[in-house]
Amino acid sequence: MSTIRGKTAIVGIGQTPYYKRGTSADPELKLCLRAIVDACDDAGLHPSEIDGFISYASERNDAQKLMPALGTREVRFAALTWIHGGGIPGALSIAASAITAGQASVVAVYRSMAETSGQRLRINVAQNDTAAQYLVNGLESPVQILAPRAQRLIEADGVSPDTFRAMAQACYYHARSNPRAYGRNTVLDDEAYAHARMIAEPYRLFDCSRENDGACAVIVVAADRAKNLKQKPAYILSAPMGGLQGSGALEENINPYSTAGQGGVARRMWAESGYGPRDVDVLQVYQNMTGMGVGALIDHGFCTPENANEIIRFENLIAPHGGLPCNTSGGDLAEGFIHGMGLVAEAVRQLRGESTNQVPNAKLSLMTGGPGDTLTSTALFGTAETL
Amino acid sequence: MEFAFEQHRIIGGIGADDEYWRGLEQNAFKLPRCSGCRRWTWPAHFRCGVCGSWNFEWTALDPVGVVYAWTRTWYAFERVKERAADVPYVTVLAEIPSADGARVLGVLRGSEEGLRIGALVRGVILPPSEKSKGYPSIQWELIHTDSHTVAHA
Repeated sequence: MSTIRGKTAIVGIGQTPYYKRGTSADPELKLCLRAIVDACDDAGLHPSEIDGFISYASERNDAQKLMPALGTREVRFAALTWIHGGGIPGALSIAASAITAGQASVVAVYRSMAETSGQRLRINVAQNDTAAQYLVNGLESPVQILAPRAQRLIEADGVSPDTFRAMAQACYYHARSNPRAYGRNTVLDDEAYAHARMIAEPYRLFDCSRENDGACAVIVVAADRAKNLKQKPAYILSAPMGGLQGSGALEENINPYSTAGQGGVARRMWAESGYGPRDVDVLQVYQNMTGMGVGALIDHGFCTPENANEIIRFENLIAPHGGLPCNTSGGDLAEGFIHGMGLVAEAVRQLRGESTNQVPNAKLSLMTGGPGDTLTSTALFGTAETL
Repeated sequence: MEFAFEQHRIIGGIGADDEYWRGLEQNAFKLPRCSGCRRWTWPAHFRCGVCGSWNFEWTALDPVGVVYAWTRTWYAFERVKERAADVPYVTVLAEIPSADGARVLGVLRGSEEGLRIGALVRGVILPPSEKSKGYPSIQWELIHTDSHTVAHA
């Protein structure tokens, strides 16, 4: 059993604005520096104190490029979490493990993307590692690869596509009051959702995450140090990464097939934290696509395929009064998408009481990693009273 | 023998399925079966995770399957732009009962009538083409029976 529960906390968050993809005036590395320096300011730490650097997926702004500009005294730990958006809580887990093992003391976990510095996000994130079985058969993008899983969730598991719409509408509703949200001016009523252009059935445009330029960083330190810094700490209660037998790079031969592949990490997360779905106050659910968000809720035990249609309703997903307030910043669909990293910042803001869609007195804040990824991860954060 | 797809090799994923593509180029639908424990290993890999064998028998099968899942693509994505003129096109994930439920991707061919999870499909093998990025491919065709019988995936 993991022994990181409550031993570290997120003490600083930093975010650049979300820019339209391909329009950031700054390249990725500069965006990354800005987010990390902002996160240090937020925490009350000097950027030169950072001695650990962790990111995930295809991140290219590594410690060796950052350290000259941060005035880094010593890099003591640097790591890249494998896979894609599935790796975000996993990156936090590596940070917590490194700190707990004494290998680092102030760790930045971050992601920076600018299409001006690279390719379309969907190509960048694929890391030139897509099996021939997909490409030969006309499939390349995450939306295309995840679409048949959604089709099966609907057709074979009996989950209504209305749940997809509810997940999307909750994001766009929350985005309206978030000045950072790139999609804050979009009113996603039933008609706008239903008439959006089809991308890969059953997914239409508003089922899909955005692509933005931008960067987001958080600072993780040991719990005893966190108590004496500027912000109310968001303790990392658990952040398991991995996958059960039946998951992995199985080219659509995964089992279970139609949900998010998070049953194993969710089980470990509940066991380590000592909490369960009923205890969670607020959720940031990574949604590359809405059906995968539904799958994440099923895998985490918030509902089953049988009762998903009753639980995943718009009213229930809305802060402050819904029973399952979800993606309160607008999330990957409506706030913006820096490969999901913005969800970590929002999960922390909820525990500080600083969200633009605050859930009153939120103490337990969940953030799920990229669903449907070949490996994935999930994290539960809590205030001091949850330790 | 030289195979056309080897001139257009796609590097990505596990990459142990050369024999699959060679089979298709020779007009055969072959899937790998572990020589040790006789289990079907799909996608192809280098070692059987069940019994530890490193040997597989690529076994020709009648390409008959059941629709396990599907999607219809409405956008010409960059890395499969060779199919832009075919948009919208359907890709089917077919479960192969004779290979213990291995699931094999293929573009849908012919009529879309009756497309649903559980519908029966038959594979048609196509030679290497630009649309399939220089690889041979299998396309799935819905089997229309008079009684509209469908199997259950």
